[in-house]
Amino acid sequence: MHRLGGVGIAAFDRQQQSQRSFAELSTTLSQNQVNNLHEQLAQFRSALLRFASTHRDSIKRDPNFRHAFQQMCASIGVDPLAGPRKGGWWAEMLGLGDWQYELGVQIVDVCVTTRERNGGLIELGELVRLVSKLRGVAGGSITEDDVIRSIKTLKPLGAGYEVIDVGGGKKMVRSVVKELDEDQAVVLAIAQEEGGRVSEEMLMARKGWTQDRAKAALENMLLRDGLCWLDEQDEINGIAYWIPSAMHWDE
Amino acid sequence: MARRADPPSNHWYEANDPDPPPLIISSSGFRTQMSLSPHTTPSGYRLPSIHAAPPFFTQQPNPSTQATVTEHWTRLILSYGRFKKIWLLKLEDAEVAGNDWDEILRNDRINRKLPSSHLGHILKQMVAKNQAIYDPPKQTRSVLLYWRTPEEWAEVLHEWAISTGQLNTILTFYEIIEPSIPSPLSGIPLPILRKAINILTATNRAQIITIADGEGVRLLAGK
Repeated sequence: MHRLGGVGIAAFDRQQQSQRSFAELSTTLSQNQVNNLHEQLAQFRSALLRFASTHRDSIKRDPNFRHAFQQMCASIGVDPLAGPRKGGWWAEMLGLGDWQYELGVQIVDVCVTTRERNGGLIELGELVRLVSKLRGVAGGSITEDDVIRSIKTLKPLGAGYEVIDVGGGKKMVRSVVKELDEDQAVVLAIAQEEGGRVSEEMLMARKGWTQDRAKAALENMLLRDGLCWLDEQDEINGIAYWIPSAMHWDE
Repeated sequence: MARRADPPSNHWYEANDPDPPPLIISSSGFRTQMSLSPHTTPSGYRLPSIHAAPPFFTQQPNPSTQATVTEHWTRLILSYGRFKKIWLLKLEDAEVAGNDWDEILRNDRINRKLPSSHLGHILKQMVAKNQAIYDPPKQTRSVLLYWRTPEEWAEVLHEWAISTGQLNTILTFYEIIEPSIPSPLSGIPLPILRKAINILTATNRAQIITIADGEGVRLLAGK
């Protein structure tokens, strides 16, 4: 039988040599590929840098543009905040990381300062309004989308910041670790419609709840969770409950 | 869902209210929210927006909520007292209208008033935090407010004596409380004045002197 490469010691040498050649070839090939990639990356970087420096102001200033930009990042699988360095090189180029962090700090500021009166639950629109106020006119406009995104970046802090949907297109931001049961979500939704005021009668008439159920839901929010305030001078029902996070505060 | 023809928030203002609160129209077009805004009273005091919140007037069963409410009321009472230069606050002021405190203890725009039991609770907390003292002592129906602490009044008194060239002269308490030229101390209640003088005495900046028709004080330059 004729073996490719023959037999004996010489064949062994030959085999080793061809392995070495293959290895060399593969190294060259992958080196080429790596170089190629580096080149592409460098190109991508410079293009990105150009884009960033050209549109930096628009990204910071214009909420629509920012949204489009964030979506573009998401679709190509790039996180503007991620990177080897602090804030990421993306963030470094765009200054967007700082922007997002700064917004995060302001969100925490508003949530903490309003917590005593709203029990740690704030309506998203109200939060946006108060954060905008804090930033002043010069800060440029921010959107609910920006706030939600920033709240996501707060998640690793474990402070329990969370956006919750209370239905009817309304969202609330919870800044304390607290579970809301289904009935409370209903109460919150009604409070949103009524400028903060809820009564047992309202829940009975609109939701067909029994008085016991309405009373239990409201008393829990009042006594256990501190999410609402009692009004004993209500003209319509005598007793009403007010949810500060659904009230529109202007100060 | 049947919507009331007369939404509950309707009673929040009257058509002829000179300063109607702004209405926030929701995107669905219903009038759903009223902005709780600051309000300037006829006497020129700017009420914080919380004063327009109906539940602010009710004593809260949740202790931590009530602590917030008490804190806001305390701030409001002290700041209004300072604004109007009134020291005395009585439970009666909450019971009967027509006194110095009407603008604070009631809100006619939302038809709410502070019940005297709630005021009593607030005053108790204020006394506990040395923001007021019961006066006369041994009762809990009226207080003197420390919108300036006795320590602050001591400095005010000392500075007043210096700026009006009355160091080393003997002043009667009456001359301090009702000076011929109005001063920051005009009308200061005697118990607060006494505390202020005692503080100055302790730092060798005043001497109490018994004079023919009562007591007087000699203010000294001190160190």
